[in-house]
Amino acid sequence: MKILVINAGSSSLKYQLYDMTAETVLASGSVERIGMETSIVTQAVPGRPDMREVSEILDHVTAVKRLLDMIAHPEYGVIESIAEVQAVGHRVVHGGEVFKQSVLVDETVKLEIRQLFDLAPLHNPAHMMGITAVETNLPGVPQAVVFDTAFHQTMPEVAYLYPIPKVLYRRHKIRRYGFHGTSHHYVSDQAAELLGRPLDELKMISCHIGNGASCTAIQHGVSVDTSMGLTPLEGLMMGTRSGDLDPAIVPFTMNKEDLTLSDVNSMLNKHSGLVAISGLSSDMREIEEAMAEGDRNARLAFDMYVYRLRKYIGAYTAVMDGVDALVFTAGIGENSSSLRAEVCKNLSYLGVKLDDAKNGMRTKKPREISAPDSRVRVLVIPTNEELLIARDTYKLVTEQASSLSGQREEGTDA
Amino acid sequence: MAVRKVGVVGAGTMGRGIAEMLAFKGLDVLLVEKTESNLELGLATIAQSLDKQIDKWALTQAEKKLVLNRIHPTHTLDELAECELIIETITEELEAKLAVMRELDRAAGAETIIASNTSTLSLTELASVTEHPQRVIGLHFIHPVSHIDLVEIVRGLKTSESTFDATKHFVEKIIHKKGIMVFESPGFVTTRLICLHINEALKVLEEGVASEEDIDSAMRMGYSFKYGPFEMCDRFGLDAVQAALENMFHEYGELKYRPSIVLKKMVRAGQLGVKTGAGFFNYDKDGDRI
Repeated sequence: MKILVINAGSSSLKYQLYDMTAETVLASGSVERIGMETSIVTQAVPGRPDMREVSEILDHVTAVKRLLDMIAHPEYGVIESIAEVQAVGHRVVHGGEVFKQSVLVDETVKLEIRQLFDLAPLHNPAHMMGITAVETNLPGVPQAVVFDTAFHQTMPEVAYLYPIPKVLYRRHKIRRYGFHGTSHHYVSDQAAELLGRPLDELKMISCHIGNGASCTAIQHGVSVDTSMGLTPLEGLMMGTRSGDLDPAIVPFTMNKEDLTLSDVNSMLNKHSGLVAISGLSSDMREIEEAMAEGDRNARLAFDMYVYRLRKYIGAYTAVMDGVDALVFTAGIGENSSSLRAEVCKNLSYLGVKLDDAKNGMRTKKPREISAPDSRVRVLVIPTNEELLIARDTYKLVTEQASSLSGQREEGTDA
Repeated sequence: MAVRKVGVVGAGTMGRGIAEMLAFKGLDVLLVEKTESNLELGLATIAQSLDKQIDKWALTQAEKKLVLNRIHPTHTLDELAECELIIETITEELEAKLAVMRELDRAAGAETIIASNTSTLSLTELASVTEHPQRVIGLHFIHPVSHIDLVEIVRGLKTSESTFDATKHFVEKIIHKKGIMVFESPGFVTTRLICLHINEALKVLEEGVASEEDIDSAMRMGYSFKYGPFEMCDRFGLDAVQAALENMFHEYGELKYRPSIVLKKMVRAGQLGVKTGAGFFNYDKDGDRI
């Protein structure tokens, strides 16, 4: 079965076409600058030169049409006809409390995603445009939605409630949701496989450290706590986001600096984190380069970043009463050996011991980087959210097909 | 109607503010000024305003670049032919506005909506010099445009229902501001009420009832105004307030609209408020109170 995975943003759309027989990526690409006269479609097919096309794409419907033309192109395409696309899986950032797992799209699901616009005003409306655009272009093709928040719906009340007036939870659903769920879920499965132990007897802490960063306590395969909250601002220090801080800083700063709500929102989301402390960059690679040249602010930014992450690892060890494996993933987690080394340095009390040579190895493969006598196994697992979206979509579509054929058989009996 | 390109005629205080706000919302803006120097000054002031927002953490350098890239300076109204909407923001003088309206009507595409940012002049009169008065409408923005989420959508006598609907859609769905519908009347709602407020404050001052500072504190703290009447007047520009009052005095003929003597005197002395560094109070070049 061929499955198209789509991540729709407000002015861009990324896609991958999977052949589920061996879970291979046939083509991947993106449409950028949707809504402009000079939109860019790019497509990469393994073993062939990349394609790039500039044209006017004013809406998501056209964007999806263009990407379908691209994958079924007689010369550059990878399939004979778009009829080969048997299902489409979408990434959706916010699933609220309604969606505890991936689901097939129907009218009720669409309505519920719309009702969540308030909680994710930048993301969910764009995802919705992606879903409608696929409906228009591929009528009748089943679509599934995979939520960033769904994996964390297993968090207990003690972890997801904020200690603020409870009426706010009832009225506005203000609670902790957590994000990067698809990634935490994927790497925890992979980690169990790599360790050769069943997921339901493992205590794991997964660190998704990329542009955004979050840390999750995964006990027996389910998320019991995660560092992001109502929005992706809570928790770890990030490239341009502050992460945890004293909430009183918000009104205090607004008053002292005469800031509006949107100013302070932008300050905490775009002007904080690594870029604020280093004064240089939000990119960890640049921070590390500057640090190597002796830049003190870059060093401080790096140290704070590591310190705050390590605190979460300590906290989650306490939450689960132990930890069997520590998993690093995403851009920084997969690539920065010095960050991993620094984080693990002060965890010797927990029994973490890195193998420096293994940690320093550069490879794209899932691997263990702890020493043989380390009580906690430390792993690096490249994340692959698209694959998990494709898998969930595949599962939902085949289940539906078999239940439908079951119903048909029952029908003939009667 | 999908609006992607908007023409803004005039790069004065309002034109700049409108152009900056539109570009920030992701629209392409054609900004028209008569002279190269005015155009340069307009763009420089927009850049300065964006820098000020960066200082307030409201914007990043990358976002500033994007916003500026969406503003295309031009000298001729002919280039506005490709715009779906044109907003005229030139000086509040009838003859000048009529001339611009005539030219816009000729230059604009048949489907284009022509809006005026006038606060006191008659929309019907502005529309009367065009061939298609049904597509002329008022869009009265309030300074500072980026921060005030209210727009008065003004209907002239011949403004068509479809022009109004498209404009309302633009205001509420594209630039996400609250649009209130007002029928043509000098000063509409906002200018009429606020100029009278300022004029009355001037009378209180003339009568020696209280000082500028205390009158401002009273209204700011007592009634939750962001600025008191005098600082407000400084920020609007004393000349603009005087012009608005004179237009309304002329139209309504009521004495309450007659500009205060103190106001006239200050305008004659060139003490126009924030833009000249001094009005009722003093300001630095960033427009902050000294």
